[in-house]
Amino acid sequence: MTAPAGAASAAAAQGAGVRGTAWAAGVLWVALLLYPLAVGTTSSAAFLQDVGATVLLAAITACAWNIVGGYAGQVSVGHAIFFGIGAYASLAVYSWWELPPVTGIPAGVVVAALTALVIGAPTFRLQGHYFSMATIAVAELIRLLVSNWDWLGAAIGIQGPATPRGWWDLIYRSAVPYYYMYLAVLALVIGVTWQLARSRFGFYLRAIRSDERAARSLGVPVRRTKLLALMLSAAFTAVAGSLYALKVGFVNPESGLGILVSVQMIITAALGGAGTLYGPLLGAIILVPLQSATNTWFGGSGSGLTYVLYGGIIMLLARFAPGGLAEVWQRWLARRRVARRERKHVINAA
Amino acid sequence: MLLEAENVSRSFLGFVALDDANLTVAPGEIVGLIGPNGAGKSTFFNCIAGDLRPSGGRIRFDAVDVTGLPAEAHAELGIGRTFQVPAAFEDMTLLENVMVGSFLRHRQRARARDKALQMLRLTGLEAQAGQRARGLGTPGRKRLEIARVLATEPRLLLLDEALAGLTPVEIQQAIRLVREIHATGVTIVIVEHIMEVILTLAQRVMVFNHGRTIAHGAPEEVMKDPQVVEAYLGHHRRRRGAVA
Amino acid sequence: MLLLQATVSGLLLGAVYALFSSGLTLIWGMMNFINFAHGEFVMLGMYAALLATWAGLGPALFAPFAAAVLFVLGALVYFGLIKHVLRGPMLAQILSTFGLALLLRYSSFFVFKSDFRTLPDSELSGTINAFGIFIARSQLVAGVAAAVLALGMHFLLTRTALGSRMLAVAEDRSAAMLMGIRPDRMQALAWGLSAASAGIAGALMAIAYPFSPSVGETFALTAFVVVTLGGFGSVPGAMIAGLVIGLTEALAAFLIGPVYKDVVVYGLFVAVLWLRPHGLLGARAR
Repeated sequence: MTAPAGAASAAAAQGAGVRGTAWAAGVLWVALLLYPLAVGTTSSAAFLQDVGATVLLAAITACAWNIVGGYAGQVSVGHAIFFGIGAYASLAVYSWWELPPVTGIPAGVVVAALTALVIGAPTFRLQGHYFSMATIAVAELIRLLVSNWDWLGAAIGIQGPATPRGWWDLIYRSAVPYYYMYLAVLALVIGVTWQLARSRFGFYLRAIRSDERAARSLGVPVRRTKLLALMLSAAFTAVAGSLYALKVGFVNPESGLGILVSVQMIITAALGGAGTLYGPLLGAIILVPLQSATNTWFGGSGSGLTYVLYGGIIMLLARFAPGGLAEVWQRWLARRRVARRERKHVINAA
Repeated sequence: MLLEAENVSRSFLGFVALDDANLTVAPGEIVGLIGPNGAGKSTFFNCIAGDLRPSGGRIRFDAVDVTGLPAEAHAELGIGRTFQVPAAFEDMTLLENVMVGSFLRHRQRARARDKALQMLRLTGLEAQAGQRARGLGTPGRKRLEIARVLATEPRLLLLDEALAGLTPVEIQQAIRLVREIHATGVTIVIVEHIMEVILTLAQRVMVFNHGRTIAHGAPEEVMKDPQVVEAYLGHHRRRRGAVA
Repeated sequence: MLLLQATVSGLLLGAVYALFSSGLTLIWGMMNFINFAHGEFVMLGMYAALLATWAGLGPALFAPFAAAVLFVLGALVYFGLIKHVLRGPMLAQILSTFGLALLLRYSSFFVFKSDFRTLPDSELSGTINAFGIFIARSQLVAGVAAAVLALGMHFLLTRTALGSRMLAVAEDRSAAMLMGIRPDRMQALAWGLSAASAGIAGALMAIAYPFSPSVGETFALTAFVVVTLGGFGSVPGAMIAGLVIGLTEALAAFLIGPVYKDVVVYGLFVAVLWLRPHGLLGARAR
């Protein structure tokens, strides 16, 4: 009776929704492109451009985590491993062989992917908790090892070139070149994620997250799919780590491999919406400025209290909206749809 | 023989759930598995589906030994199963749900999509293709289960109490659907409690009790078997006797 | 001789590991849930002992005090958070206690600062000389008390009516409800018990070892290794594995160097995952 009409209007609404989203995404990318220029005229241009670059880097890292943690639903709480590997790889090639840091990126990607294999291969045939526990353990393990290996700078860390020897060192004093570098990589990561989500692999990932047993019964090669997702995620995270090392020019066990790096990735992706395309970017846009602000408010012991806040936010997300702001948005939209339908019924009945 | 299960047994920590079950299914048959709760039919079913590894015995599908292979391998070879409690992918749309199934045989998105729409049409769910599975009621979920597993193009379909919880009208619709599926050449093994369904659909029936098969044959004969009657009604009769 | 010394210290600390890990594996087996804040519960137990000294209580009361405080915290966490995420997605489940761990850890840093501290000297100070081995009296007390309590916990679960009710809920929630058992209550109780075991372990350790808010992270990992080695949901497994890990740690520190003791333990963890993931006494997953 109302089924065909209902289906048609639902499809129309969906179509409108998709078009609306495409429009909004377009506006977003243009805004991102113009941001450094727009704030370049203000008095705190350098600071704002730096924040912008930091936002983009946080977004890349969170998007990378999102592939395995959001889409595949395998919650890695030690993703700093891969970030640190990327950071250390690029600075190590400079520190040992005086090569431009950017040449370390492929090595970082390979080591990260292999580490992912070592962690995922045994744990992905077991229940989810084993994987999560393993990621924390391996992150700590690597951090401890690196802290004691002089050839990786031990607790002091490694530094990159202080001044650029040529354009290939990619060292700039302004944050703007980094901003656009990061923007390009972000576009790549989001593009790849988008393509993946539409493909067979992406469908399989989402099925695994939803109900592994059912996925298996439909022929989904669960273990292999999870492994690929983890390796891909690890690769992108390593690239993010290398990009970080390029800009900051320095890494040590804490800043590269510490648990707070993992926490940052998780909360950024989860706040915006884990398993959505733009969730991690949204999370970064909210959290990075927030963190700058709280660090100033809370003063000296600031970073400690920031993490109390983060802990609280993560708990609230888990309890009320695990899908993050994207979920909150969906629920609001659904409520609006129901309200509109009810109003229509009232009007029709009258 | 499409399916050959020989001396299949399964224990859990010393408790024998299934003991020496044998079943052969020829292509194109519809076979029913019945028995009281905890009788072992679900255990047997899950062994064939690949969800459980038998403690003993062998299972062969189309001459391939599938004993102990994981469920994904069973599906790939052509064994499809539904779940007693429908396991929809809640946050995905109906179309996406079925596409997970159709992707098994069609790697390309467009082809997988077409096949999925076809299956949704077959099960009468086409109108709701764009809706999330979360909002679907039980009968819809059961139909989605079937659409999804059919998309994997199984040669053997294992239905696990697919008709439980449906109204009489829905049951009739479901029986018609099963017949349609059967007509396309799919061999069916169905676990069911509802006698009417078994009597209407199954050509052959296997009865389980306490982990063993106690009867095997045409539905009408099996129903008259005193052991079967005892298994189903004996418990009930004993209780009434105690009260009186 | 020194090797024997290391062995004894390792086993004593291992007994404490066994105690708090039993709590973690209880929840894991019962609700298929890993509490990522379990290490923080241990850490809070240590600070509970500190508060007890400030309140003028003697060492004998540290453990009961910590047990009481943590029991309440455990039950509160269950009702406020865990109960609601149990039926949700895996992400929510893992994030819930992960967020709690952060909250507890950094609040403790803020309140207690990050320096390591020890409890004031008491009748438990000093060393005992047993057959040429020197053991700190406090470490001996901590280890023995932990061992006794861990066994007590196992006894509680397997031989009392309460314990069997808890295990019934773990087996089959709906069946348990039909038997008149209230799953919610049993699960809250289990959380309280689990947290209390962590709290007591912390209080016992505070008597014998220095502590700071940073140790929660390390103990959480120790607990993960122990429960994995011990096997899913197995309290006896956790007890044995606790001793094994304590011993391994002490021997690694002695033979290789204190810096590498954690590396050896975490490396062992990865090895167990590769070679024998169901641990010593765990049931096979499939």
